[in-house]
Amino acid sequence: MADKPSDLVQGTLDMLILKTLALEPMHGYGIAVRLEQMSKGVFRLNAGSLFVAFQRLQRAGLIRGEWKATENSRRAKYYALTDQGRKRLTSETREWGRQVAAIARILEA
Amino acid sequence: MSLLRTIADGLRSLFRKERVEEQLDEELCGFLEMAAEEKMKHGMTRKDALRAVRLERGSLAVTKEVVRSAGWESFVETLLSDTRHALRRLRMAPAFTSATVLTLALGIGATTSIFTLVHAVLLKSLPVANPGELYRLGKESRCCYQGGYSQEKEFSLVSYDLYKYLRNNTKGFSELAAFPSLELLLGLRRAGSPEAAQGYPGEFVSGNYFSMFGIRAYAGRALTDADDQPNAPPVVVMSYRLWRQKYGSGPSVIGSVFDIDGKPFTVVGITPPGFFGDSLRSSPPDLFLPLNTEPYVQSDADLNKVDTHWLQLIGRIQLGANPASIEAEMRVELKQWLRSHWSDMSANDRARFPEQTLYLTPGGAGITAMREQYEHWLLILMMVSGFALLIVCANVANLMLVRGMERRRQISLSMALGAQTSRILRQPLTESLLLSLFGGAASLAVAFACTLLILRFAFPAFAGFASVPISASPSKPVLLFAFVVSLLTGIAFGVGPAWMATRVDPVEALHGSSRSTAREGSLPRKTLVVVQAALSLVLLSAAGLLTAALQRLENQDLGFVQDRRIVASMDPRLAGYRSDQLPALYQRIHDSIASIPGVSSVALCQYSPVGYGWGAGIWVDGHPAPGPKDDDSAAWDRVSAGYLDVIGTPIVRGRGISEEDTASSRRVAVINEAFARKFFQNEDPIGKHFGTEADNSRKYELVGVAKDARYLTLDKPDGAFFFLPEAQADYSQTNLGSLFLHDIVILTRPGARLSDAQVRQVMASVDPSLPIISIRTLQEKVATQLTQQQLIAHLTSLFGVLSLVLASIGLYGITAYNVGRRTGEIGLRMALGASRGQVVRLVLRGAFLLIAFGLILGIPLSLATSRVLSSQLYGLNPYDAVPIAIAVAVLGFFGLIATLVPAHQASSISAAEALRSE
Repeated sequence: MADKPSDLVQGTLDMLILKTLALEPMHGYGIAVRLEQMSKGVFRLNAGSLFVAFQRLQRAGLIRGEWKATENSRRAKYYALTDQGRKRLTSETREWGRQVAAIARILEA
Repeated sequence: MSLLRTIADGLRSLFRKERVEEQLDEELCGFLEMAAEEKMKHGMTRKDALRAVRLERGSLAVTKEVVRSAGWESFVETLLSDTRHALRRLRMAPAFTSATVLTLALGIGATTSIFTLVHAVLLKSLPVANPGELYRLGKESRCCYQGGYSQEKEFSLVSYDLYKYLRNNTKGFSELAAFPSLELLLGLRRAGSPEAAQGYPGEFVSGNYFSMFGIRAYAGRALTDADDQPNAPPVVVMSYRLWRQKYGSGPSVIGSVFDIDGKPFTVVGITPPGFFGDSLRSSPPDLFLPLNTEPYVQSDADLNKVDTHWLQLIGRIQLGANPASIEAEMRVELKQWLRSHWSDMSANDRARFPEQTLYLTPGGAGITAMREQYEHWLLILMMVSGFALLIVCANVANLMLVRGMERRRQISLSMALGAQTSRILRQPLTESLLLSLFGGAASLAVAFACTLLILRFAFPAFAGFASVPISASPSKPVLLFAFVVSLLTGIAFGVGPAWMATRVDPVEALHGSSRSTAREGSLPRKTLVVVQAALSLVLLSAAGLLTAALQRLENQDLGFVQDRRIVASMDPRLAGYRSDQLPALYQRIHDSIASIPGVSSVALCQYSPVGYGWGAGIWVDGHPAPGPKDDDSAAWDRVSAGYLDVIGTPIVRGRGISEEDTASSRRVAVINEAFARKFFQNEDPIGKHFGTEADNSRKYELVGVAKDARYLTLDKPDGAFFFLPEAQADYSQTNLGSLFLHDIVILTRPGARLSDAQVRQVMASVDPSLPIISIRTLQEKVATQLTQQQLIAHLTSLFGVLSLVLASIGLYGITAYNVGRRTGEIGLRMALGASRGQVVRLVLRGAFLLIAFGLILGIPLSLATSRVLSSQLYGLNPYDAVPIAIAVAVLGFFGLIATLVPAHQASSISAAEALRSE
């Protein structure tokens, strides 16, 4: 159902990508797969949205790319969090938690 | 930080496009490959897997496009590619491109040149420090002199005494400077030089004039308060222009002694190059003298006359001071000053005391007499050039529409292949904007030439004088104006056609038949032709009305005769004459010129027509004294014997000024009919007495009535006017300006020719040091009064002709285009027996329908325009049907010619051939 980024809450794709990269640097496909696995198939992203997001995050200085060999000895661009990206992830996670809690309170009331 | 990175990254994509593309390609390919491999692990074939991935994740090409268009650089890239594309297309159509650019250059250039004048005359501040801090006295600029202790509407001219009072008591000004409103000619020559003095415009200014403006001398020093004291050594500041043009920028000028009207002055400094004084005028002053030297130079000094108001004021307010409170303060001071002169005030002045007030207005543009004079002319011209620009837009839009037609198939193909409308719209729009920008750039040359021409015509330069300080070369605001107008023009003629071009049905257009779209798209073109015809009619009839008004002004009965009259102007003051020397000088001048062969008669006067006159209040003997609200004013001229005969003004009753009026005979005056009507309604004026002051109403005896004439202005007959004999003037009065006669009017014998050189030679024999300011025929002198009207009429005619040509081209274009498209139909008609005449009529009917619509739209517009014009101009009759009828005829005639050519072509179509072409 929610297979299009427009169905994601606005701006959350960037946060999810940052979260995915928090553990280790990954290439584009790896990120897509990880997001699908973790969301149990809810978020299936097309290449366009992903790569536009990569370009945006790179230009914002939150991630940086580096060409490396994969385990299948293929060349791929690996994205890693920058210090700035790490800080942004923390702040966005906190902000997200606050908002969700607030929305939950409203819905439960 | 991230903004910088965004820009840097975007620039990298722009300039290292291939490398960036390659990397994106590789990354995306890898992504899709990995996804496919995953699927293949689950047993799919490679082909199926790749297909599934494309469906799930999007194709490589689409993803690349999405990523690429996400960055800002893609916008620039499209812009660049659109521009490149448009440039290529324009290069491929050189005839279209050059015709369009030329048309646009004319339209934008004309508008820009008028704007150059509007900017210089109406919008610009003086070239002085912080003009925003300057405030001047008076809402309207008033000329010359006001006497007594009351002024109508507002106190806007002040005497030196009042100036000092205001200056010493108003705290809000950091400096308050004063200078006369009257333009002044001063005779200048280097002391000891043998040459005759030459007249230059000069100005008496208060000592703080330059410090008030924040102007420092270019060389030497500016005037100071110390120079402006009653007994200070006389010094003068010279303009940069005079210093450079006449004295070759010689450093020795500074510190040298020059004679000004025969009095020695030391030049202490030179003004900076751009400075032209306190107001924009056709001949800016070349000499700046301290106010306190006025009595030293002028025998009829005004400086110490407490109730002669002749000075204008401009002040720089203190930082943060409020002009409104300064104004209030000055109003109180004015009342205080008037009160302190209560005993000197006349009964009428006292009666008018309560309403005496003054106003302070922004003075950054200086004294704006020229602005007030030219404002409505410039607005009319702006309107006219705006109309012409609209016609140009319509014409270019028409051309663009034709281009759009030619591209229909290409566009429908692109749209069938899925191109975005916005992208297709952008192409013709880019083309229009490029064309208009090229046109705008080319228009600068047109504007420069046009402005130069207008300036030369409107402000004819006097030899040796400074020319009007308006530069024809484009300034920053003018460049900006041309740029904005170009953009707007481009949008105006570009948007419609561009939008029309995208309104194609891909399927229909692809059928490729030329007939399927035959009727489409011709409506907007026809509308444009109608609009053009209407606007041309407006311009043509405006030109006609203005020309008719001008001719009426030129041919009206002026009340004097221009033929065979020559006017030589002089100023005995420039050569340092004293009033008691004048009668002998006038006699010598008269006798010497009268002895030139070919001269029939000669007379001298203060001012010959058309232009100046002096004013006076009239007290008629035996009538009650004029009350505070009564208009008792009359203009007058001092003339030598026989003047009215020489100038050709008929005497209606009694006699003119003659030889029998001598210094020892009874004081006489000759009045005009308007004077008789105003002061003697039903009485016979001959033998009555009047005077110009309360205690001398028996001063002049009326001996004659002259026919009404236009001595002061061509617009309307003079009001009350009277003539006094020069021989009866009181030359014992040393300070009477009216004793100095300026004009020598010479009547030549029929067929005789009198050269300037002859007159100058004779004048030199009278006194070599007496400068002759100008020698002109009376016709030339009268014509200078009409230069503005002529300029407007000629320019409007020029714009009218331009618009007529453009409208004709437009009409020709659409008729020829329609004929081309209807070849088949015409062939069919002819095959069915239509005659050539019928075919011609068929084509003409279509074209004349357009013209008729243009007229229906244009005639009311023309009438409205002529109403607007007549409210601005004297002598223009808004209900004059002749110019509008002529304009209609001219437009119809040119429309006929423009359509006859294609109509003729249509009639010569061979039926068989035409049908075969189907």
